[in-house]
Amino acid sequence: MMRRTIPLIITFISGILLVFALFIPHKPFGNLEERFNDWYIIVSGFTMILGMDSLLLHHWNKIRRRQADWFHSAALIVAFAVTLVWGFYSGIKVGNPFDPKSTFLQYFYTYVFVPLQATMFSLLAFFIASAAYRAFRARTLNATLLLVAAVVVMLGRVPKGSGASVVLFGIALVALAVGLVLHGRSLVDLRGQLLAYGGAALSILAIIPIAKYFPTYLPAVADWIMNIPQLAAKRGIFIGIALGGIAMSLRIILGIERTYLK
Amino acid sequence: MKSPPIVPLPVPSVRAYDTPNDAGGSITVEWELSPVDSVVRMYEVYRLEGSPEAEPVSAGFVLRGTQKFQDNNLKDGETYYYFVRTWVGEEYADSRLSNPAVPSAQWFHTGRKSALVILLIYGGLLFYYLQQARSGKPLYIRKIAGLEAVDEAVGRSTEMGRPILFIPGIGYVSDIPTLAALAILKRVAKKAAEYEAEIIVPNFDPIVMTAAQEVVKEGFMEAGRPDLYNEKNVYFLTADQFGYAAGVDGIMVREKPGAVFLQGVFYAESLILAETGHSIGAIQISGTTSVTQLPFFIAATDYTLIGEEMYAASAYLSRDPLSLSTIKAEDVAKLGFIAVFLIGILLETLAAITGNQALHFFKNWFSLF
Repeated sequence: MMRRTIPLIITFISGILLVFALFIPHKPFGNLEERFNDWYIIVSGFTMILGMDSLLLHHWNKIRRRQADWFHSAALIVAFAVTLVWGFYSGIKVGNPFDPKSTFLQYFYTYVFVPLQATMFSLLAFFIASAAYRAFRARTLNATLLLVAAVVVMLGRVPKGSGASVVLFGIALVALAVGLVLHGRSLVDLRGQLLAYGGAALSILAIIPIAKYFPTYLPAVADWIMNIPQLAAKRGIFIGIALGGIAMSLRIILGIERTYLK
Repeated sequence: MKSPPIVPLPVPSVRAYDTPNDAGGSITVEWELSPVDSVVRMYEVYRLEGSPEAEPVSAGFVLRGTQKFQDNNLKDGETYYYFVRTWVGEEYADSRLSNPAVPSAQWFHTGRKSALVILLIYGGLLFYYLQQARSGKPLYIRKIAGLEAVDEAVGRSTEMGRPILFIPGIGYVSDIPTLAALAILKRVAKKAAEYEAEIIVPNFDPIVMTAAQEVVKEGFMEAGRPDLYNEKNVYFLTADQFGYAAGVDGIMVREKPGAVFLQGVFYAESLILAETGHSIGAIQISGTTSVTQLPFFIAATDYTLIGEEMYAASAYLSRDPLSLSTIKAEDVAKLGFIAVFLIGILLETLAAITGNQALHFFKNWFSLF
């Protein structure tokens, strides 16, 4: 009983105090958030030991049980030990393990850590392409709207995009016209043929206004999409998040939400 | 021909005042720019404590084009005077002395009036619906597809004989989305225990790891299967963003989970994780309040909890009337905001069309805050 009650009381008092602190700059409320954050940092520093314990134990068990790819775990433990020992050694020798004179850590950071991070980050380019390919397949009206908006924004925001848009939309319209003509030839009724050929003619004619107006107006349209519909949707989500955040915080402060407790 | 050296000209006026809405010990000094601002090297602010005859002390300096300086760590109740020294090269010119200013702490942050008003209205709504829930009145909450799919995802994963991977993001336990993620984790863990499925939770933060271990344990206990709980499956991975992404990707590729939950705070690693999850054919349910990452999740995962849906998850899944009442209040508040926006749009549009300035009263009322 007490195991739950005491944390709930601490949560309630801390939460209420921080709400007051938002509106009262006077001491002792003024710097309360800062002070709480300092305490959090101190506590989280100690919990890093828990993290290390969990990490090492997890990989040690893998090695002990000779699980698949156990040598990766061995590499992790060796790298961990070397970094830790060298960090302490540099700390004693130079006075600070992160000092530029501490050559090993500097070398390790510059030539191992940074390239590995950059490698993971650069994967994002390929993942964006594959996700975009799936999202932009014009199967539904929503996906088509997304595709058109994305193409307009991309072309409107890249250098030479406006010029390229004329070529790209021109090719797309010519392809559409060819498709309509071929479709019209396969039809037997005159009305359908007329509609198909008319559509093809309109597609070809549409190239003229595109060539005339796209280079001038495409960046403006791209900006409009980003500044009006995109921003409106984003702000809507932000308002929802803010209200949801307050509701969640109140649930926690009042002890209604207690999943984070033992 | 060599141009004559530019003579420094002092700033025309200097004003000092107690910094508003602060905890005290601070004075703000403002001045008009020197007529030769474009060639000024810096403005140095001097402080005189107690009287205009006191010894001036340099309080700090700012670069050209700057008109404000905040002097901190002062004594509350003490009187201070200031002047600004304009430096051009090695030459300088001093301004006149400012008015006296006394630092003091304020008891109310006037810049947060609007937040207080909204908080009071919203708080009132929350307590009203809490009372409604206590009186036993049923509350209707709309269906959230992503949360309805939780049981389906766990069931599917169990049928396939694969583990469930729950990724709580790279947030800390002080982040509300992380707490919301833990609430979802409890439900997932409970379902996993009921179906006797394995659940893996790699963590970015050791405190979140500790909380996640307890949450999963609690979920297994609620399902009546504490024997199935394996603490080693809820472990710390790394506190590095891309290291975490690489580690989780590795787990996905090796363990081939049938269901992947991406819930919490995410940044650039969101798409790396979601696309890898997609590549292994897992059913994926994502949720975040990071607005910039939402499009990636929507594109790459099967279900996405958008913004506040994530916060609503614990109440929605638990069906606890008290928790549900807060969501009801949230929905009513949103309706209120929509009504305010619509009235504002209508009145401002009418004002623009008719040129009637009186129609701005609604907007002006809000700007009072």
